[in-house]
Amino acid sequence: MSETSLPHEFQYSSASHQAATAISGMWLFLATEVLFFGAIFLSWIYCRHWNPAGFDAGAQKTQLAIGTINTVILLTSSLVYSAGLAFVEVGNRRRLIQCCVITWALGLSFLILKFGFEYYKDFTANLFPGPDFAINGALGGGARLFYVFYFVSTALHGIHMIGGLVLVGWIVLRARRDEFSPLYYTPVAVVGLYWSFVDVVWIVLYALIYLVGRGS
Amino acid sequence: MTQHFRNLLVTWIVLLVLLGAEFGASFLPLVRSARPLILIPVVLMVIAVGTMFMQVGRGPTIVRLFAVAALVWLSVLLGLGSLDPMTRIEYLVQDASRN
Repeated sequence: MSETSLPHEFQYSSASHQAATAISGMWLFLATEVLFFGAIFLSWIYCRHWNPAGFDAGAQKTQLAIGTINTVILLTSSLVYSAGLAFVEVGNRRRLIQCCVITWALGLSFLILKFGFEYYKDFTANLFPGPDFAINGALGGGARLFYVFYFVSTALHGIHMIGGLVLVGWIVLRARRDEFSPLYYTPVAVVGLYWSFVDVVWIVLYALIYLVGRGS
Repeated sequence: MTQHFRNLLVTWIVLLVLLGAEFGASFLPLVRSARPLILIPVVLMVIAVGTMFMQVGRGPTIVRLFAVAALVWLSVLLGLGSLDPMTRIEYLVQDASRN
């Protein structure tokens, strides 16, 4: 079957035109996401500039080990998903499904570590910026701002992760129904872009939250 | 095909090395104002993921336009937003209640 004879929606001249539009659409969406998270990164710059000592005092209380393990998990998940995409390009549907299931499991482990263990430790250590906040005195204000940044940014990232898990699960279901082939795998590529972008956001957040204030 | 898998694996290893570099650098006794330099490996990691895992160079031209536009507008956002804290001069104000 030639590429031009593949099924496509009426508004596209060919299946490849439809695929290119879908890929471009995802990149445009990701560009808006860059600005969404950019505002959060700007809040980090602004708040840390005015409260450097308090911000660093807050950063030193974060769970570095869990954050680092989670970073390795996400980097590995992007590698595995990219391998799955390469497999479907040569028609290996079984390997695609395996890669997506591993990616899904890695994503779920990230969420369990983040919200099941790390948040639990943070709340039991009174690091949620409320009336019993653990860091007081001159550094208290800056540390509170740091933990507002921490909880808002990680929660938003977590919501994006949950969205990614839903999408990867959807790819698994469609692959099991044998809907992908070397001639049609656009949804696999589009979801891969989203998954790697969520990885990129975490790469930045990891450094801002756990590393910059660590050795002060 | 094998070459592509090898490239993906090398990218992953490079990412882990960069992660180790920023992790180690975070324990260096840098002055507080110099500590954001720890973010240099982060930039390299983002480039690695963008080029190898997201394959920004492979899609249609408009993909690269969107990617560059995102970076330009992010620079504008962070640049203009940082202008105030970076350039504001704080003047000491006499405490009137002490007079």
